[in-house]
Amino acid sequence: MTATTAVNSAAGNTADIAAIERFLYRETDLLDSNDLDSWMALFTEDGTYWMPVAPDQQDPHGHISILFENRAVMAVRAANFGHRLAASMEYPVRCSHLIGNVRLLALDASSGDCTVRSNFQAVLYYREQRLFAGTYTHKLQRVADGYRIEQKRVDIINCDANHKSILTYI
Amino acid sequence: MRQNSTLIATQRAPAYSNTALAALVEENRVHRDVYLDPALFELEMERIWGKAWIYVGHESQVKNPGDYLSTTIGREPVLMVRDNRGEVNVIYNRCGHKGAKVVAKPCGSATMFRCPYHGWTFHLDGKLNATPHKCGYDDTDFDPEDPQFSMQKVARVESYRGFVFASLSAQGEDLKTFMGATLETIDNMVDRSPQSEVEVVGTCLPYFHDCNWKMFFENLNDAQHPMVCHASVGVATRRVVKQLPQGAAVPKEVEIIYPFGSSYEFFDELGVSVMARGHSFMGGRQSIHSAYAEIPGYMDSMIAAHGRERTEQVLGSNRHNTAIYPSFTIKDAVQIIRVVRPVAVDKTLIQTWHFRLKGAPEEMLHRTITYSRLINSPASMVGPDDWDCYARMQESLHSDSAEWVDMRRYIGREQSEGGITRASGTSDLSMRNQYRAWSDYMTQGQQ
Repeated sequence: MTATTAVNSAAGNTADIAAIERFLYRETDLLDSNDLDSWMALFTEDGTYWMPVAPDQQDPHGHISILFENRAVMAVRAANFGHRLAASMEYPVRCSHLIGNVRLLALDASSGDCTVRSNFQAVLYYREQRLFAGTYTHKLQRVADGYRIEQKRVDIINCDANHKSILTYI
Repeated sequence: MRQNSTLIATQRAPAYSNTALAALVEENRVHRDVYLDPALFELEMERIWGKAWIYVGHESQVKNPGDYLSTTIGREPVLMVRDNRGEVNVIYNRCGHKGAKVVAKPCGSATMFRCPYHGWTFHLDGKLNATPHKCGYDDTDFDPEDPQFSMQKVARVESYRGFVFASLSAQGEDLKTFMGATLETIDNMVDRSPQSEVEVVGTCLPYFHDCNWKMFFENLNDAQHPMVCHASVGVATRRVVKQLPQGAAVPKEVEIIYPFGSSYEFFDELGVSVMARGHSFMGGRQSIHSAYAEIPGYMDSMIAAHGRERTEQVLGSNRHNTAIYPSFTIKDAVQIIRVVRPVAVDKTLIQTWHFRLKGAPEEMLHRTITYSRLINSPASMVGPDDWDCYARMQESLHSDSAEWVDMRRYIGREQSEGGITRASGTSDLSMRNQYRAWSDYMTQGQQ
């Protein structure tokens, strides 16, 4: 993280933090409204969503994670969400996200691509109410109409706890 | 039964007579109380989980002296630890002084164990090392050699190809006899390594269930549920594949999800095999894993190590779940185990552990990991549908409209040979077989 922090202090002024924040709000708003189709469209074609099971986990391929999904699996999940044949989907899934402490970790001044960390709390109501909290690390690609997500990494502070079912992206 | 609990066990009147216990299990159904009654759960902890060989961990998790893994056997807190002689011990995670849990971390490495309360220290085999300010015990009958002051060893520990099992009971058959034909599944998983060795990779994936432990176990070889319970993810996957542009590569995840929607006929054809002590497996030559694409380099590494004939023999076996009652289920073809840790009559922790085939291309491990995320994760699109159905049973079995749970599907159409009984895959045979074992354990053979 030392190298990226240096980039932050050197080039932090050139990123539009307000625009990034608006993008993050929109992303979690789509999750709060269970609009997974629109949500996954925010990702690049090779974009991934990653929720590690171990703190400081480095490798999503050679070590188990709670979630590590590409666009193909996101599409399956969107099609499966609320499916009438799924026992787990007979209950409402309601979510409320709060994001704060948005800070720039790295910025490529030429492309505008950046890595952004934020803190979040998400209250999820599924069968019972549960609280998830932690950090998001978004790798964002700058595109003509804003940003696309190359990777959203979700580090929940109790990643290694004994979780019950988690029915949607957090 | 351990020495120091004998007193309590003999004083406590059993909630159920053997006759009453035997009456809970009939040939083709079981009484709902086996899932609901906390008193039966207590008896199970003593008579099943206190007697059977219970999976503890894999030797690769304690490679060096001092390495330990913390887990439970039934509800007994235990540590699996390698001592300075290289032996793997399983000791109670309980201080011989005031009874505090000595180690709280799930795993780690130590030169000695030290209770954080009063500082008693213990060797890696659990034996008492020292008590601080020990002059206080002068002129008392305190005997440092008395096992009650140690972190005691569990009665029996045995390991098969690195898989460590323990029994809390000093009496009973050895591990190999207990495992019977399920040993072949462990052999098959290990032999899929070009070096004939496997190792655990990383931490486990835990999944907390709101159900009785037996519901999870019965589901392992229940082939009547996938095409119903997991229909939606199959439908969703087919829809996504259909929408792929012409010529686009089918995502690798599809080959893992698709077979869960296989037909009744497919699963009937796989067949289910059961044996003594409640163990079972599905499939044999074929399973839901046998149509996986070949991973480049893997066959070559196997043939180089074992020769073509032996390789084809090993890879030609494709069992689905091999369930070793009551604590362990293994997928040899995917290199995954799931471990059952009962918590309460309606609470069960399932841990999934992942294995690397030593000497195989790393992509084999990647597929193991992908499989587990897609199928076993609490955030997968498969596990939560099972979870929900268990929770629904746990909830509605309280209904007084009926007392019995049916298990008669395909009854009377089994075939037995050489200690293995086989039936069509969607039979309830594996459940009936589990309850035969349950009844034997619970009545201690005295019904």
